[in-house]
Amino acid sequence: MLSMSADLTNTDVDLQMINGDETATAGGVEFARELMKFAEAVASGDEGALKQSRDELLQSAGNEVLVDAAGVAANFQRMVRIADAAGIPIDERNMTLTADIRTELDLGRFGTASNTRPTTWVDRLRGKLMRPVAKIVLRRVDRRANSA
Amino acid sequence: MRPFSYDNSPYPIRPDLKAAYREYWQVLAKPGNWWTGAERVAIAEEVRNATRCDYCAERKQALSPYNFPGEHRNRGELDEVATDAVHRIVTDQARISQSWISGIAEKGLSDCKYVELLGIVVTVFSIDEFSRALGLALEPLPQPEAGKPDHYRPAQAVHDTGFVAMLPADGATGAEADLWKNGQTANVLRAMSLVPDAVRGWMLVGGAQYLSMKDMRNFSGDLGRSLNRMQIELVAGRVSAINECFY
Repeated sequence: MLSMSADLTNTDVDLQMINGDETATAGGVEFARELMKFAEAVASGDEGALKQSRDELLQSAGNEVLVDAAGVAANFQRMVRIADAAGIPIDERNMTLTADIRTELDLGRFGTASNTRPTTWVDRLRGKLMRPVAKIVLRRVDRRANSA
Repeated sequence: MRPFSYDNSPYPIRPDLKAAYREYWQVLAKPGNWWTGAERVAIAEEVRNATRCDYCAERKQALSPYNFPGEHRNRGELDEVATDAVHRIVTDQARISQSWISGIAEKGLSDCKYVELLGIVVTVFSIDEFSRALGLALEPLPQPEAGKPDHYRPAQAVHDTGFVAMLPADGATGAEADLWKNGQTANVLRAMSLVPDAVRGWMLVGGAQYLSMKDMRNFSGDLGRSLNRMQIELVAGRVSAINECFY
């Protein structure tokens, strides 16, 4: 989703932020470092890091950003538990479209990857071919969502 | 005092968040499809015990989470199987397996009971996590309401993927027509659809914390939040990565 929204807004984003690489936060996402650190602290359960990252996010971005970020982080503390506790695999349509991103972020290292069939070279090839088409479709979907 | 008033919060909390949490607290207190109101609130209480459970912390470090001796910190209102299920979902969800779910079904925690329990655990946990993220006290749990579960199981549920039965992509029909437009779904939305109210509770709270189903298609426009879509997805992605979420 980060990759898609960056694509559609022509924003420079280094996806390694997702893996906690601080140098990757220098791109076009405002408050990226502070948001990354806050998300990390919520998920890791480290109360000291959470207080520090909360203070930093509050100082740099303000109340509203802090509260909205807390909501998103809390939501994704839930989503991973739904996915893992129900053992769902990645949706077949995303197997191709996100094949490169899974490789780039090395998501196969996670144990729950076994709930999904292995990514094949066909998925990667299809993903490469489909990505430009998907971008056009998503741009239309996005335009429709914005005009509604 | 009304729940989720956040009177002592140093940060103003958005009204839609308060409203969603209040509505969920009302739903939580009522009898569900497979658990009574008292049992549902007891499940919520166990979510809070799990976050402070020494046994869970030790088991998480063990090579295998099965047959690990010890006892959960618990209030004793749920049986051992349900208590363990709650704690496992909160503290060690990545190692939940099909064989464990089949095993708990043999011990009386049916797939329907498990999915309703899962819905309560994840929704209460996310509401609590919101408070913890902001350094706020947890909201007292609601008083349970009397009544019996109705044992509703959607007839169209099938076991086609994942560990539990769920509605097929084209199965959001009849009483379940509100869950998604037919065919337009994802496995994460289908995951708890064996108990449709569990999905409804998830969408209620998720729509306020993250995005409504409509706004999930909005990648570049105004979302009515202080964060743009990329910032939202950065937080989402980092939390998911720390939790080792492949999905």
